[in-house]
Amino acid sequence: MNDDSRKVSAAINAPAAAEPGRNAYSYFPGCSLTGSAGEYDASFRLTSEALGIRLDEISDWNCCGASPAPHHWSGNLGVLLPARNLHIAGDGHEAMVAPCAGCYNRLKNAQHELTGSEELREQAARVLEEPVRYEIEILNLVELFAREVSPEALAERVQGRLAGLNLATYYGCLLTRPAKIMNFDNHRNPVSMKPLLRATGAQSDHFPFKSECCGSYMGLAKKEIVLRASRRVIEVAAGLGFDAIVTACPLCHQNLDLRQGQINKAFGTSLDMPVLYYSQVLGLALGLGSDDLGIDAHAISARKLLAKIGKGAGGPAAATSLKPEANQSTPASIGTIPAAGS
Amino acid sequence: MRIGVFVCQCGTNIAGTVATDKVAEAALSMRDVLHAETLQYTCSDPGQRAIIDAVQKKGLTRVVIAACSPRMHETTFRRTIGQAGMNAYMMEMVNIREHCSWIHSDIDIATDKAIDLVQKGVARVRRQVPLYSTTVPVTRRVLVIGGGVAGIQAALDIADSGLPVTLVERGPTIGGNMARLDKTFPTLDCSSCILTPRMVEAKQHENIRLMVNAEIEQVRGYIGNFEVDVRKKATCVIEDKCTGCMICQEKCPGKAPDEFNAGVGQSKAISIPFPQAVPMVAALRKEYCRQFINGKCGVCKKVCPADAVDYEQVDEITTEMFGAVVVATGYELYDWREAYPDYGGGQYPDVVTSLQYERMLSASGPTAGHVQRPSDGAEPKQVVFVSCVGSRDESVGRPLCCSVGCMYIAKQAILTKEHIPDSQSYVFYIDIRATGKGYEEFTRRAQKEFGAIYLRGRVGKIYPSNGQLVVMGTDTLSGGPVEIEADLVVLATGFSAARGAGELARKLNISYDQYEFLSESHPKLRPVETTTGGIFLAGACQAPKDIPDSVAQASAAAAKVIGLLSRGEIETSPMVAAVDQLRCIGCFKCRDVCPYNAIEALELRDGRQVAKVIDTLCQGCGVCNVACPPSVVSLKGYTDNQLIAETMELLR
Amino acid sequence: MAELKLIGFLCNWCSYAGADMAGTARMKQPGELRIIRLPCTGRVNPLLILKAFQQGADGVLVSGCHPGDCHYNEGNYYARRRLELLSRMLPAFGIEPERFHFTWVSASEGARWADVVTQFTRKIEAMGKMSGAEQGTPPAKASCEAGVGAPDEQTGSEDAVPA
Ligand SMILES: Cc1cc2nc3c(=O)[nH]c(=O)nc-3n(C[C@H](O)[C@H](O)[C@H](O)COP(=O)(O)OP(=O)(O)OC[C@H]3O[C@@H](n4cnc5c(N)ncnc54)[C@H](O)[C@@H]3O)c2cc1C
Ligand code: SF4
Ligand code: SF4
Ligand code: FES
Repeated sequence: MNDDSRKVSAAINAPAAAEPGRNAYSYFPGCSLTGSAGEYDASFRLTSEALGIRLDEISDWNCCGASPAPHHWSGNLGVLLPARNLHIAGDGHEAMVAPCAGCYNRLKNAQHELTGSEELREQAARVLEEPVRYEIEILNLVELFAREVSPEALAERVQGRLAGLNLATYYGCLLTRPAKIMNFDNHRNPVSMKPLLRATGAQSDHFPFKSECCGSYMGLAKKEIVLRASRRVIEVAAGLGFDAIVTACPLCHQNLDLRQGQINKAFGTSLDMPVLYYSQVLGLALGLGSDDLGIDAHAISARKLLAKIGKGAGGPAAATSLKPEANQSTPASIGTIPAAGS
Repeated sequence: MRIGVFVCQCGTNIAGTVATDKVAEAALSMRDVLHAETLQYTCSDPGQRAIIDAVQKKGLTRVVIAACSPRMHETTFRRTIGQAGMNAYMMEMVNIREHCSWIHSDIDIATDKAIDLVQKGVARVRRQVPLYSTTVPVTRRVLVIGGGVAGIQAALDIADSGLPVTLVERGPTIGGNMARLDKTFPTLDCSSCILTPRMVEAKQHENIRLMVNAEIEQVRGYIGNFEVDVRKKATCVIEDKCTGCMICQEKCPGKAPDEFNAGVGQSKAISIPFPQAVPMVAALRKEYCRQFINGKCGVCKKVCPADAVDYEQVDEITTEMFGAVVVATGYELYDWREAYPDYGGGQYPDVVTSLQYERMLSASGPTAGHVQRPSDGAEPKQVVFVSCVGSRDESVGRPLCCSVGCMYIAKQAILTKEHIPDSQSYVFYIDIRATGKGYEEFTRRAQKEFGAIYLRGRVGKIYPSNGQLVVMGTDTLSGGPVEIEADLVVLATGFSAARGAGELARKLNISYDQYEFLSESHPKLRPVETTTGGIFLAGACQAPKDIPDSVAQASAAAAKVIGLLSRGEIETSPMVAAVDQLRCIGCFKCRDVCPYNAIEALELRDGRQVAKVIDTLCQGCGVCNVACPPSVVSLKGYTDNQLIAETMELLR
Repeated sequence: MAELKLIGFLCNWCSYAGADMAGTARMKQPGELRIIRLPCTGRVNPLLILKAFQQGADGVLVSGCHPGDCHYNEGNYYARRRLELLSRMLPAFGIEPERFHFTWVSASEGARWADVVTQFTRKIEAMGKMSGAEQGTPPAKASCEAGVGAPDEQTGSEDAVPA
């Protein structure tokens, strides 16, 4: 027996903040979500809305600093760029969310470096022309949902809509490493997605490759590395009978989904493993449409998987906060918005 | 007052950083010092003779020795000045090696410090008075805790010398982990064949009393006279009546985990762990028993031909006096599951621990020696051994070496080939540690004769695939990743101290390390003693060890015990507290704080109640000295005057 | 700056042994600290520490066994209570409480001991020597003499000790 569940429930209940307005988050989309991972952005917004989580996109956000380019121009751009984002994200919010694992990782790293270096803070202040504010809490998408949605409430609402699916959780590397700085989940065995996935009625067995490398950005420089690494992840998932891989990182998604065809070509395999974003899966469970969630835009079709989803189970999605604790006693509703799209 | 100062050079250990002649010269100008000299090795025979000479020729009445730590040689030099005709306590050691020459590199700093320390020692010894130790009779009976091979060996050795021994084992049988092993390295002799006779011998020995299902409840007293409460746990079986026929076990409907077989196989709520158990007595585990769970069963009571089952039995506590204690509580395998999610965290049935595998190999094991993998009972053809799981791994907070893993892997690889001739074993290792007699040759045999393939590197991941397990690792010698499809994976899990070892240590007032292995008094020179007099260590409770080392340590502990108790009485330390009864106000604050109840009330002739220290109980902690409002309790050898003088001297 | 005077009171069973171990492992340490060996931290009289400060100690360090590990079971618990009180009283005597440090070092923690000594010495270095005004303030003097200063009957005054 793995004691996943114990750890996760601790994580969910941990900072259960009851103060109002706490479930409004400053939202940092980053370049991927406005470009190649548009469906991640769309599904995140829709799902959040359906769950009663308000996202306030940071106006005028800039590059998160993760792309290798800034590092080549100046050693400190990798901190100064995110520093500006942190600085402007704070307005009226205590926490921000960065769904892209790369952005999340860079923002957290920058925050760590700023905390530890007066010199960097001074540099940032010079650029910003005022003392830098960098203390805002940074969340990734998995963390945000774990905090805002209680598994019991979700299960109650979706009535086992995803029953029959077995979903492999795939965390990759950026969400949890370096462990001391990310301080999110157990980096050797992350489990944060599991409780909500199980609440949807789906099964989510232990996926031994959950934090194995997908090949990362080597896709540009040395494609073979990505193809080899991602092939393993997909093959193992297929071998263990999973219906789909669930991820929370646009780069992982790109390597596993978009390149699956290249993998098949390169190795003569016939892999056919849908790769879904975590927000898409939760959206499906809430009854949102697969086209609105952008699932239809993926390279590997999720048709078979969608066909498996129990029809008619669960009512239409209402924008309802399912936050653990805080909203449990009061009728869990922050107003009703028509189920987006469906 | 005539004080002599001896400054040790300790070869270059001290003289390399401390200008010892300057220290001796400075000493000569200290009050009452009329002799000072440097000695090359003070603890050597010529060194000690030089001290005796000086004492006798110059009529010294006090001696200061500036050398190594008093924890090292205080006893040596007390004896020396005793030989010179002085009271052994009129000597003070100051530590200019561990606390000075070895931790500084600047000669001036070290020399200044050494002079200060000598000055402090002189100030202290000037206020020293002769002290005389007393003797107390000892109880000539010995307690051995833990009935593994180490405990058995110690008990037998001590019992053979004529001393009565009580052997307390918390499990239902003695034998410990060795009883679970199939064959033993490096000779491959069968473990039961060599151990069972010794178990029986222990049971039959006229000087040994066996107490199984028993644990130490409380310990009072001190060296020579420990008063120990032992809790004998209720097993619902009357030990004297049970004949070991095992009918109850056969008929019992209550399934229970098989602890003896390390969880391979199943046992019953009432059972005898294995057919060679000693004593051959059943024990009932209430948590699995239907009679206790829902009050409906009573089968064992009905079928027992000896009428030995008694559901009303309760725990019993007995109290006994012992002169010495040997602790031999052994080890348990480290629970690897939480720390190694990459190996499946316990979710894959075909990933087993070394001890489970040992039971699978054993002819007396649940599969009668037919190796079958747990998932489907098939005979494994590809077996992968992973060494150092929970050993030598900083990333999971376990940097220690289990010291036997490399050896038992080699053994198990050999046995695998013997059991399944068409099998192939792979061994992932970090280094092969095989330092015992015949050990290196043994690991070579595993490779050369039995074809085990050794791969130097750690395993990164194990995952299931097509009914097998894929073991992903690195081979650092060929420099690349390797993957092996295995039918069975055996983890060489590290050693943890026995559950509750720390708690037991606290009861015994002995120290233990961060892994709860019990600490020896000195890693080199006092390896079986603890820091508490009269308590000794044997076997894997002190550190991971193999059988030969456990047995050797057990015999060493036995020798120490026999030596201690052969004297019939022991000297107590004279550094105990004393009350100035004339000035005692009878507040008894001292009695309230004393951890050893060593202070009692005494009525003087004038009817005044005053405090009195019981010398034989006082351990010399000095807590009372500080608690006394008029400062009239004083710890001999550490009096207020001495401590103040030392402090003042350093601040001059 | 004149040399700092630092005194360490160490229990024999844990910290003194730990300091020995640091020495055996040749772990270099600053040279200001002078160690006084005691059977147990339970033998440490708070008044002795006051006295040390009054006599010009710039820092006093007390180190014993970890809680639960005291060779005499409870000595370090008494020490903890007594020394905590002392530490709170120090400002009343004009002594910065940071100059006093109470810690635990076990017999196997040589590295920790070296670290404790280094940190403590650096801290006092940064604070500098005790200013003259702090020394020998009347309350400190008075109570020290009333307490630890009392003659010791086991030995009598030093001159009464047999030669
Ligand atoms: C898989 C494996 C294979 C091995 N193969 C070999 C080999 O081939 N050759 C070899 O030399 N070594 C081998 N060893 C090592 C060997 O098992 C040990 O060296 C040996 O068992 C140590 O004996 P022990 O008596 O110190 O401890 P143990 O065997 O652990 O015995 C300790 C006993 O104390 C009891 N106990 C514990 N706590 C208490 C308490 N509080 N009160 C009362 N009783 C208590 C326990 O129940 C147990 O009976 C192997 C080890 C393993 C894991
Ligand atoms: S009472 Fe029944 S279940 Fe309990 S030990 Fe006896 S036979 Fe087994
Ligand atoms: S020194 Fe005092 S407190 Fe300590 S054991 Fe002896 S009498 Fe008890
Ligand atoms: S013996 Fe170390 S603190 Fe008591």
